[in-house]
Amino acid sequence: MLSMQDISMVYRTDLVETHALRDFSLDVAEGDFVSVTGPSGSGKTTFLNIAGLLEQFTKGRYELDGRDVSSLSDAQRSKVRNEKIGFIFQGFNLIPDLSLYDNVDVPLRYRGFSAAERKRRIEHVLDLVGLGSRMKHLPSQLSGGQQQRVAIARALSGEPRFLLADEPTGNLDSQMALSVMELIKQINDQGTTIIMVTHDPALAGMASRNIHIRDGQVSDVEHDTQLVAAIAG
Amino acid sequence: MELGPIWRAMMRNKTGAILIALQIAVTMAIMVNAISIMQERSRMMARPSGVDEANIFYISSVGFAEDFNERVAIEEDLNMLRSLPGVVDAIQTNSVPLSDGGWSMGLQTEPGAEIQGTGVAIYFVDEHGMETFGLELLAGEDFSPGDVGWRERSDTEWPDKGIITRAMAEALYPDDPDSALGSTVYINDDEPLTITGIMKQMQAPWNGWSGVERVMLVPQHTLFGATRYVVRAEPGRRDELMPQVEQILADSNKGRIVRNMRTMEETRERSYRSDGSMIKMLTFVIALLTLVTALGIVGLASFSVSRRTKQIGTRRALGASRSAILRYFMTENLLISIVGVLAGGALAVGLNMWMVDAFDLTRLGWYLVPVAMVLLLLVGQIAVLGPARRAASVPPAVATRTV
Repeated sequence: MLSMQDISMVYRTDLVETHALRDFSLDVAEGDFVSVTGPSGSGKTTFLNIAGLLEQFTKGRYELDGRDVSSLSDAQRSKVRNEKIGFIFQGFNLIPDLSLYDNVDVPLRYRGFSAAERKRRIEHVLDLVGLGSRMKHLPSQLSGGQQQRVAIARALSGEPRFLLADEPTGNLDSQMALSVMELIKQINDQGTTIIMVTHDPALAGMASRNIHIRDGQVSDVEHDTQLVAAIAG
Repeated sequence: MELGPIWRAMMRNKTGAILIALQIAVTMAIMVNAISIMQERSRMMARPSGVDEANIFYISSVGFAEDFNERVAIEEDLNMLRSLPGVVDAIQTNSVPLSDGGWSMGLQTEPGAEIQGTGVAIYFVDEHGMETFGLELLAGEDFSPGDVGWRERSDTEWPDKGIITRAMAEALYPDDPDSALGSTVYINDDEPLTITGIMKQMQAPWNGWSGVERVMLVPQHTLFGATRYVVRAEPGRRDELMPQVEQILADSNKGRIVRNMRTMEETRERSYRSDGSMIKMLTFVIALLTLVTALGIVGLASFSVSRRTKQIGTRRALGASRSAILRYFMTENLLISIVGVLAGGALAVGLNMWMVDAFDLTRLGWYLVPVAMVLLLLVGQIAVLGPARRAASVPPAVATRTV
């Protein structure tokens, strides 16, 4: 599903070179639920940006769904993001001036679906996250947990093969975090591949695999997630 | 197209959009009416005076010596001027078109003090008048030497014939202008005067007068102390003749002064100088207003892009291409501009109706409002292009940044 070989990412300014990732390699199989942990500045977000085609890397090879995406144009990368990848952000990233319906509609419009198809998908995913009755509401009228559910609905609306979650519960209290994680787990159970960046070892323990990143490299190739969860617990 | 979501999002955050739409509306109302005024002035300035402007100049002569004989001087001057090589013809007259000073009377088709006459500008000429001014006689005949008399300042009697313009014939006989030729009209309430000729066109001295095309030539020399000679030169020889004429007139009689020599082209320029200035000023106002509106659009769009950087990054992450982001901001501006130009169209028509009533201006040309709409929509799209391109260059990775 996802294969990164010797990926390096260097941020350059006039004075400084920062190596965010160094010879980073990772393979994720279809249906995996991988948690990515590591200290601040270790390269977690850079990895997520590269995995989600939000940023170009400096060196290495990246195949997504069997296709080399290293040399895609900006427009091609946008298309791949739109069709294959769903994003869940720490701050939800909902558009405050749009209703829940219009928020979920954003990626579907870029996909070019008909109005009827978009309506069907929007209603389906909002029902799925338990917000079908609040489609006309604005994000500001919802709690943090509900907003993240809308963001998940938006990510799922295009039926992506691959879901990237960046600290999806980072802005939520523990109750809401648990309910969002249960939703993410359900999505994985239905076959969607998930990579989740998190600080929280307990949440990392809910994934089937854990990757620990330190100084831009995979420091522990694979943690036993049950052990991680036990340590956290 | 994302018209629905863009419109709904704008309606939830509409203060800036309303202000820009209002600015566009006001700009459009002023622009359309200013262009209409400019068109009216330009049309007025483009009207032909009816005379051979390129080759005519004139000069004034004022006798001051005790032994100055005005009638003799006029006869000698005209003989001398007409015999000069390069001169087509010359006359003595009281005024010229567009000079802003002249003589007007009322003509009526029936005698009687109670009858309202039709205003007409009077030029006193002799049998050389038509040739000197370069006028075209449509019907009837020119004056003969025997028709021409002499008029003192105190005289109140008028000659018994006159040549009028076609416009004056239409004003006197709206149902049958052709019947003007040979008809008797009345001047000074009851003095009869026969129309012996109809000329194609000649303008009065006053360009702003509604009856500027209503003119009558009467066959008289004037003895008013100050006089004016009009000289028509052969094509291309006017400028060479002017200093010669001035010198010869000054030298030929030391009992008078000659002054105010001017070409007809200069007279036209002076006559319409204020109109020309107004056109320049209105052009400047339109350009300034358009620039201010464009800057307003740039300001609002730039602010909007800065405020929504994260949102743009999120859209990019969700699959928006650069061109989709560019299109989003261009569409948003187009919607604001459409509201602005629609309101501006209504405002422009309303303002024009008021100005037609208050200042007797002409009505707007039907095409002005749509043309201004297209122009302002275009200005809006050009103005928003810079901020929209900046928005399109926001990288998708902004979506995952925490600030």
